[in-house]
Amino acid sequence: MAVAPEVAGATAASSSGPVIEVQDVHKAYGAVRAVDGVTFEVGRAEIFGLLGPNGAGKTTTMEMLEGLHAPDSGALRILGLDVTRQARAIKERIGVQLQTAALFPQLTVVELLDLFASFYQRRASTQGLLEALDLEEKRSAQSKTLSGGQRQRLSVALALVNDPEVVFLDEPTTGLDPAARRGLWDLILQLKGQGRTVLLTTHYLEEAEAICDRVAIMDHGKILDIGTSDELIGRRFTERAIQFDAIPALTDTIVASLPHVTKVTHENGSVLAYTPKVPETIAALLDSAQALGIEPDNLLVRRPTLEDVFLDLTGRALRD
Amino acid sequence: MRALRTLSIANLKSFTRDRAALFWTLAFPILFVILFGTIFSGGGTPSYTIGWVDQDQSAASGQLKSSLEGLPGLTLHLQSGTLDAEQADMRQGHLDGVLVIPAGFGAAATPAASPATGPGSSPGETRLTLYIDPSHNSTAAALQQVLQGVIDHVNLAIAGGSSVVGLDTQQVQTQELSNVSYFVPSILAMALMQLGIFASIPLVQQREKLILKRLNTTPLPRWTLVLSNVAVRLVLAALQTILIVAIGIQVLGVQLTNDWPRIVGVVALGAITFVSIGYVIASFARTEESANGMTSVVQFPLMFLSGIFFPLQIMPDWLRSVATVMPLTYLGDALRQVMVGGTPFVPLGVDVAVLGGWLLVCLGVSARFFRWQ
Repeated sequence: MAVAPEVAGATAASSSGPVIEVQDVHKAYGAVRAVDGVTFEVGRAEIFGLLGPNGAGKTTTMEMLEGLHAPDSGALRILGLDVTRQARAIKERIGVQLQTAALFPQLTVVELLDLFASFYQRRASTQGLLEALDLEEKRSAQSKTLSGGQRQRLSVALALVNDPEVVFLDEPTTGLDPAARRGLWDLILQLKGQGRTVLLTTHYLEEAEAICDRVAIMDHGKILDIGTSDELIGRRFTERAIQFDAIPALTDTIVASLPHVTKVTHENGSVLAYTPKVPETIAALLDSAQALGIEPDNLLVRRPTLEDVFLDLTGRALRD
Repeated sequence: MRALRTLSIANLKSFTRDRAALFWTLAFPILFVILFGTIFSGGGTPSYTIGWVDQDQSAASGQLKSSLEGLPGLTLHLQSGTLDAEQADMRQGHLDGVLVIPAGFGAAATPAASPATGPGSSPGETRLTLYIDPSHNSTAAALQQVLQGVIDHVNLAIAGGSSVVGLDTQQVQTQELSNVSYFVPSILAMALMQLGIFASIPLVQQREKLILKRLNTTPLPRWTLVLSNVAVRLVLAALQTILIVAIGIQVLGVQLTNDWPRIVGVVALGAITFVSIGYVIASFARTEESANGMTSVVQFPLMFLSGIFFPLQIMPDWLRSVATVMPLTYLGDALRQVMVGGTPFVPLGVDVAVLGGWLLVCLGVSARFFRWQ
């Protein structure tokens, strides 16, 4: 995959200061506080993820930045421009993909790309986008005939027709198969490589871990924590889990008595021993095994994931 | 401008690739024209009423009268019996024709008198006069044919085939439009009405599919979006007008005024006014289904209570007062005036003012209530 050559605009824009600024933004729909005091900043060429369950306020936050909803209070700025007052100027420079691919059903892929391109001053090469999003074969197909994954890719392509400096992707990989998802991750990383800033929402933890430079974890309209995934994990978890296939001879009592082990749990036929000092615990574990004349299978060290962070922050798993 | 052009082309393509939309907006009104045209240009059993003016008052004219009365489908109108009165009735559309039996008919058509005129020659020939309206071409032709048949019989019986009685025709321009002339502008009005209010459907579809929302994230100004929808509808309106007028002229023999500037103006005003009503529908319909329902709710009363299919003059009072508020009444009236020189219901200026008023009100309502997402 290759996206259009590096853009002039991405480098020419004001280089100082954050590209996206969200300051204490509130938005309520009736009694529901969809966004309840959200603050964050995104720097140039950063991939920033809003992570959270449905209804957390991710999409509302993103759509306020896209100029689709006005905030009740707070400030939103993109590229130093005020979102409500300088909407037109901002819209020239951002690319938007909505959660639901919104396409004219009777138009072909190329017609849609050309149509959207005609709304902007600057435009990326249609051919380049077709190639980058693997839509070359479908160029003359009406959008209603495309598969879910193809529609999703077209919708991303449409977000890039104006060679944008900032790209908003609302759950870009939802509905994609694993191969297509990885393809899109590569593309998003390329966008970053070209100096573009990407704000994406997702409820896939592995997606946030794989491609986001920083993540904001949202729930009930609030940001619970913000940082790189290492920071988010490190702030809460000082321990790692040593995992191996359960062996009857190696009882929980033995494992629990190993140096520095704080907790022993079981998961799908594996034993998990939590420890803040992995090398010492592992050495002791191997000694015990040797003494018993057994070999622990599938021995590995697991670090906590964003899933664990989310569980810790909200008391529930991200996916039901 | 580039955005307006590409968006209009995109909307037009979307429209032409949607078979259902294509059928209802273009094919359906044409089927309607052809259907009505066939019904009103004399399919089925014809029935004609002619004025009877007997200036001879002889036994022979009496006989002719009773034999004409015996013909199925022909009714003689015997009210006044004077040419002026019958012609006046015909001009008002009550009669299909007037037949005049000149004085001396009895003498010429009596067998006893026939030897005076030699066979084959016709110095004593007497000629009946049939007044017809050439714009009702099928009626005129049928009447002429029926009467010529009767006269041939008379000639055969009296003079062995030589002509003692002839038939002349005279043209009377009736003020009442022929049915077809009345219906062609009506159907164009109906088609423009449908084209306009059906503009709500793609709008609601585009909102439901979040296309309007997606467009709102681009720098495309909203007025361009609205203008493009209107432009597309105007193109379609032009296409409809050409098709309906062409069928009217070629197939149904309607005579047009050829006052194209005014025709184009009224068509455009009508199309835009009904598109604005379409926007009002799209302002209140949340889903495509409700938009479909609302277009029907608006469409059918407009179609049947607007005097586009029945002249307002023959409507009962209560119905006429309903029709008086319907915008389609005024579009139909305006189109009849500018296309075929129809009798005005109200002056053209009033038609235009009423349509313009509806347009402004609907624009105001849409501006207030239309939701983009």
